[in-house]
Amino acid sequence: MAQQRALPQSKETLLQSYNKRLKDDIKSIMDNFTEIIKTAKIEDETQVSRATQGEQDNYEMHVRAANIVRAGESLMKLVSDLKQFLILNDFPSVNEAIDQRNQQLRALQEECDRKLIGLRDEVSIDLYELEEEYYSSSSSLCEANDLPLCEAYWRLDLDTDSTDGLSAPLLASPEPSAGPLQAAAPAHSHAGGPGPTEHA
Amino acid sequence: MATYSLANERLRALEDIEREIGAILQNAGTVILELSKEKTNERLLDRQAAAFTASVQHVEAELSSQIRYLTQVATGQPHEGSSYSSRKDCQMALKRVDYARLKLSDVARTCEQMLEN
Repeated sequence: MAQQRALPQSKETLLQSYNKRLKDDIKSIMDNFTEIIKTAKIEDETQVSRATQGEQDNYEMHVRAANIVRAGESLMKLVSDLKQFLILNDFPSVNEAIDQRNQQLRALQEECDRKLIGLRDEVSIDLYELEEEYYSSSSSLCEANDLPLCEAYWRLDLDTDSTDGLSAPLLASPEPSAGPLQAAAPAHSHAGGPGPTEHA
Repeated sequence: MATYSLANERLRALEDIEREIGAILQNAGTVILELSKEKTNERLLDRQAAAFTASVQHVEAELSSQIRYLTQVATGQPHEGSSYSSRKDCQMALKRVDYARLKLSDVARTCEQMLEN
């Protein structure tokens, strides 16, 4: 059941004007077309000579044809205005469009986060192996002022001139086997987060 | 992204009406052209005239129904809904992916440097 809401005067007037334009244009097309067909009928010569009548009919047909074209263009303009009005004021379709867009964006976001979580799990396994390799290699030395692995990694960027930067002191943990685990645990705690793994 | 369903149906209907208006003028021109010939093809004439009349009535009916629908649906208030929040969340997710890719490329570069050394 569609109740007639109290539309603002401007909207109501606008819709009424659309109706009027539609009726006028359709009427114009039909009337002018039928008049052209009627004028095409060849009649007996009356007071006006045939040549004059022919010229008059020719001019009238031109004008009526131009009227039909004008009415057609006016109808096209009406359709364009209706499209604009529809896009701006058809709330059900605007709501549905917004809902669809939200769904698409949410699905994309969930897909990204799911892929990141899978990536995190894979990279943590590889990081574990890398750290094991690093700590068991001959270049790993345990000293008193050893830095954690992440600090050594960041120092590589800062101390490019220093030769000690490359052979930077390592994790100061007395148990090398706990190192990779210690590095992996914060990695798992930062579920999907953008930050790098940071040691306490 | 043209995946809106309901809005597109009405807009597509209006575009069909636009094409039909062009067809109306085409039919009218064909009828008058046919009348101007000495030997008129009556069947073509009748067919085109019938198509013209049917198209005009169809266009009028369709446009009236669209205007009637708009009269029922329009409220006069502006629509204030938006998809900004979900767009922002999606943007942040894409930024997270970019950041992860950047960091992975750093790690890969570092591994390569270590291998070279």
